[in-house]
Amino acid sequence: MLIAEHLSKTYETKDWNGFLKRKKTQIEAVKDVSLEMHKGQIIGLLGINGAGKTTTIKMLSTLLLPTKGHIDVDGLDGVKDSMTVKKRINMITGGERMIYWRLTARENLWYYGQLYDIDNKLLDERIQRLLDMVGLKEKQDIPVERFSKGMKQRLQIARGLINDPDYIFMDEPTLGLDASIAKELREYIRDLAFKRGKSILLTTHYINEVEELCEYVYVMDKGTVIVQGTPKALALMGMENKTLCIELHENHELLHAGLTEACMSIEKNCSIQWDSKNMTYTITSRRDLSETVTRVLLEHRASFRNFYHQEPSLEDAIIKLARRGY
Amino acid sequence: MGYFVKILKAEMRKQHKNRFFGKSIYVSLFIWPMLTFITAYYSYKPFPLDKIVGGLGYINESNLIIFVLMGYMCLIFFRCFVQSAWFFSMERTYGTLELVYLTPANRLAFIMGNAVSSLFESIWLFMVFAIGVFILNASSFKIDMACAVLGITLLIVLSMLWGMLLNALFLFSRDSAFLFTVLEEPMEIFAGIKVPAVVFPVWAKAVSAVFPLTYIAEMLRRIFIRGDGFLQIRGFVIVSIFIGFIMLSVTTICLKLGEQYARKTGNMALF
Repeated sequence: MLIAEHLSKTYETKDWNGFLKRKKTQIEAVKDVSLEMHKGQIIGLLGINGAGKTTTIKMLSTLLLPTKGHIDVDGLDGVKDSMTVKKRINMITGGERMIYWRLTARENLWYYGQLYDIDNKLLDERIQRLLDMVGLKEKQDIPVERFSKGMKQRLQIARGLINDPDYIFMDEPTLGLDASIAKELREYIRDLAFKRGKSILLTTHYINEVEELCEYVYVMDKGTVIVQGTPKALALMGMENKTLCIELHENHELLHAGLTEACMSIEKNCSIQWDSKNMTYTITSRRDLSETVTRVLLEHRASFRNFYHQEPSLEDAIIKLARRGY
Repeated sequence: MGYFVKILKAEMRKQHKNRFFGKSIYVSLFIWPMLTFITAYYSYKPFPLDKIVGGLGYINESNLIIFVLMGYMCLIFFRCFVQSAWFFSMERTYGTLELVYLTPANRLAFIMGNAVSSLFESIWLFMVFAIGVFILNASSFKIDMACAVLGITLLIVLSMLWGMLLNALFLFSRDSAFLFTVLEEPMEIFAGIKVPAVVFPVWAKAVSAVFPLTYIAEMLRRIFIRGDGFLQIRGFVIVSIFIGFIMLSVTTICLKLGEQYARKTGNMALF
């Protein structure tokens, strides 16, 4: 298990202030972040740009020293035992950088395998297995510069698994990929956690990825975790208003007045919108008005196709939670 | 030790594959030093050497080609690293350095692998040419074999340490183009490759003292042309070992500081 407790990172910048003086400014990129990663679990780290996600990932992956706090990786100290910890972790980033374009896919993996001191026979077997897994086995001897964006990203995933890490940090792994390749990659990620027992920390701007993959989510804003929980729980937490949708079979002239009067009598500030094209009422309120609306529909003998509460969206919830600082 | 050698070999292979994509690059690596060598040789040729060389009494009409070629051979050993270190600095800008830092690999083996790879790729063709010329002019040599082996060993070791130092400096410098300009041409001028350093004015001698190439080139010329023995070259040997030790220390410190700075600030550019 990986446990990060009270992680903080403060950067110091120096800017020229006059001809000879330099002004020091301290920027607190991450403040008091605590999180846990369990085996076979995918956790999400969400937040807008500059929220502190990448800094957190870099601290967890030993690339950055925390200013405060402690990282424990299976009983090892993430700072003091960083060289041992490096064998158990790896990082996968989005984009086309961080691979050698003139080398083939196999050569790239072989090189990184050597850096991890993997036995040559085992490394050859692992390279073939990983290339097969990411669908690059047939293209293994082609220089990476001839690869498409999706193929490069798949190679990045194989590279991130070359040392068979227990903990994988994925920083926007589907960045810039088309929908079908991104879907394929999500399937790899799911298999890694659920079939192979890897522990994955995922940062992404695509909420559907979080909803599809993550069991638990940490939402960061201005360097701190503002809220955490399952994606469903977070969506409900961010939902301030309840939205009721009624799709009618036909237009009913008297119904609008009846609905307005009944709903307003319970909540003055509720909103009732009529979409004549789709013949749909959308009623938004703080209180649950479903009983009142049902009564009015029955009184007016209105025939309807559908009657439902709109599902809360995680995306809306995160924006709202970040906006109000939770 | 096995792990160190493994990284060294992996880095050598990677750099070779990454930089030497086509065989034509070997031709360019030969033509360029050849042209500069020919230019230097024919710049000397029209002048009466005994009147211009001052303290360097061992140069004459018959061994001029050996004198110049010996200088250029040493220069190639050292100069190939300036360019390769410049290429190596791209490991930082392309983000691959971060991935190397993510591994437990020995950092010294990593930069040494690059240096060894650059050295052997850049020098072998010119070395074949130089050895051919040396054989044709064998009569100009008076060699103490033990000193020759020592001199060549020092040339290889010192040039590799120079390469590692440059790799470490370029890797963490935000302005590697500046380092390239400062080190490339001045090394050829001030290390006494074209014009022997002993005839320089004092200020230029001070500059030439900075480059390890100055000592190595002069030592090898004395061994191969003047036939100096160990007693005559011992000063150069001591200075070379001392400079080698300093270069290795600075490289190690630079690597440690660079990584520590990157871990502290998130910025890979140390200076």
